[in-house]
Amino acid sequence: MIAEALSLPAIVATAAGSIVGLVFGAIPGLTFSTALALMMPFTFGMEPVPAIAMLLAVYSGGMTGGAVSAVLLGIPGTPSAAATIFDGYRLAQRGEAGLALGASVLASAFGGLFSLAVMMLLVEQVASLAIRFGPAEIFALVLFGLSTICGLAEGSLVRGLVAGVLGLMIMTIGLDEIDGVARLTFGTIQLQQGVNILVAMIALFAIPQVIATFAQARDGRVSAPAWAGAIRTELPWRRLRGQWWLMVRSSGIGTIVGAIPGTGGPVASFLAYDHARRFSRRPEEYGQGALGGIVAPEAANNAVMGGALIPMLSLGIPGDPATAVILGGLLIHGLQPGPLFIQNNVDLVHALYLTIVVSWIVIVLVQLWGIRLFVRVLRVPPHLLGVCILVLCAVGSYAIRNAVFDVYLMAVLGLFGYGLQRLRIPLAPVVLGLVLGPTLEQQYRTALILSEGSHRIFLESPFAVAMFALTAAIVGWQIWSAVRARRASA
Amino acid sequence: MPRGDRWLGGGLVLAALGWVWLVQTQIPDPGTTPGPRGFPRLFGVVLAALGGWIIAVPSLPAPAPERRPDGRSDRHELAGAGGAFGVLVLYAFLLERTGFLIATPAIVVAAMVGLLRLRHWLSILSLAAGLTLGVWTIFEALGTPLPRGTWIGW
Repeated sequence: MIAEALSLPAIVATAAGSIVGLVFGAIPGLTFSTALALMMPFTFGMEPVPAIAMLLAVYSGGMTGGAVSAVLLGIPGTPSAAATIFDGYRLAQRGEAGLALGASVLASAFGGLFSLAVMMLLVEQVASLAIRFGPAEIFALVLFGLSTICGLAEGSLVRGLVAGVLGLMIMTIGLDEIDGVARLTFGTIQLQQGVNILVAMIALFAIPQVIATFAQARDGRVSAPAWAGAIRTELPWRRLRGQWWLMVRSSGIGTIVGAIPGTGGPVASFLAYDHARRFSRRPEEYGQGALGGIVAPEAANNAVMGGALIPMLSLGIPGDPATAVILGGLLIHGLQPGPLFIQNNVDLVHALYLTIVVSWIVIVLVQLWGIRLFVRVLRVPPHLLGVCILVLCAVGSYAIRNAVFDVYLMAVLGLFGYGLQRLRIPLAPVVLGLVLGPTLEQQYRTALILSEGSHRIFLESPFAVAMFALTAAIVGWQIWSAVRARRASA
Repeated sequence: MPRGDRWLGGGLVLAALGWVWLVQTQIPDPGTTPGPRGFPRLFGVVLAALGGWIIAVPSLPAPAPERRPDGRSDRHELAGAGGAFGVLVLYAFLLERTGFLIATPAIVVAAMVGLLRLRHWLSILSLAAGLTLGVWTIFEALGTPLPRGTWIGW
């Protein structure tokens, strides 16, 4: 069966899956979960190895592709790529889009292969660790993730907190998943599904930027492309040399977060970004085009894949929506993941490991070849690019749920984002609130249901207590730093 | 204290109070703890507290935004914001009524002529046609449906 992984049908299926995933990931609005669902029927007539290989390749390709539009257009192709915008888009605006894309694909491949290695070597240990993560632990972890707001506040802690709370508030709109009650939907059926996170991200990241471009064009200030000089497309090997240790740490964060069901790529990438900024010797460079700000989230969100596959293969629990679709693919081919799955299907599992390696080779080659092509987008005059982005935003928002309502919602949220920018309220914490809000609430309430309303559940877990202490320490330290900075500048 | 901060803080407090009122009146309470109201209400209270903080504690002066003496940049930015919002709403309306293939070139022409005040018709029409066909081809190839209009059905 291992030879089957290197057979022509398996390699073709893997390559096709990787490329489809890359394309879906790179276009805002087309998520790789959609790509997985669309590719599933093609696998029905295939042998199990090429079939599962194709689905896994769509997953890897999609996760990586999200960074392309994040870097070039400032719009995340997937929610997991949101943290890559902060530094990737800045680098692109400085004419270093090639460097940003190169760093992103190499970090992604590293993260993906790192988590694969962990999966191969430590599958049982990681699975037993992940299964111990109950709602209390996940709540504590997500609360810790929210402390990242302090780092994304762009100079004003209180404005950053306002932004974070606004993001949390937006995500409470819609049908409450626990009690099945409609919240602030005002009788609108479309709002019962809530605000889609990708629609909100497209609106908040892209629309204020399009508005600024249009305003500049009306002002007569824009006539040439944003970057008219030479765009560097060489590989960042030399500059990446200093980032290896960060890649390892971020990949570790991604693998562990991925293994915990109910978390996923966006949580991992924000945690890794904050970790990178916090432990950097030059934290002030983050948000201004720091290479670590691309490497950390990309390594982490791609490492999520291997992490999410661990509970899926060893316990039959999908870690995120994408692995749920892959689990469906396995079941269709008569394979039932669970505690004895790896033991009973050693050859198949090894073949799948091999196909993941093949998919990463394809992804790296396609992406590195494509960099010279992708960066040409920066040659388009910004006001014309603005028109194209406006159309892509609308079509992308529509495509997520096939609903024109989402285009209206995107327009309203885009105007809201622009208003926040004018009030000097940073947008990054809003996105963090959007990403972490639903998990935070759901896990807290599930924990209380399990403990019959007792908050002791949060104090009985050493991990949760450690996370609470860490969160308190970080928030306290940030407040103290803000007060000190204010006194110094007063 | 900067006057803008006082307005922002006051606006946030009012918005938060309005939010809490909506939560209390619009979300049913099934009697569970913390229930579907708990988190939205908590966020509203925190927002009100932050608004109060902004009013009470003056922020450091922000760098002045880039402006022309005649205030053109500011005016143009607001016009750009209103225009982009209007174009998006119009696009959504047209997508629903006329479908992607008619709405897209129409909106590209409207944005370039109305918002950007361009008059180079060859480039306007080329971009309108190229963008429409490009997006349509990609989405068709990927098997992802684009909106068809209720009036025309394209």
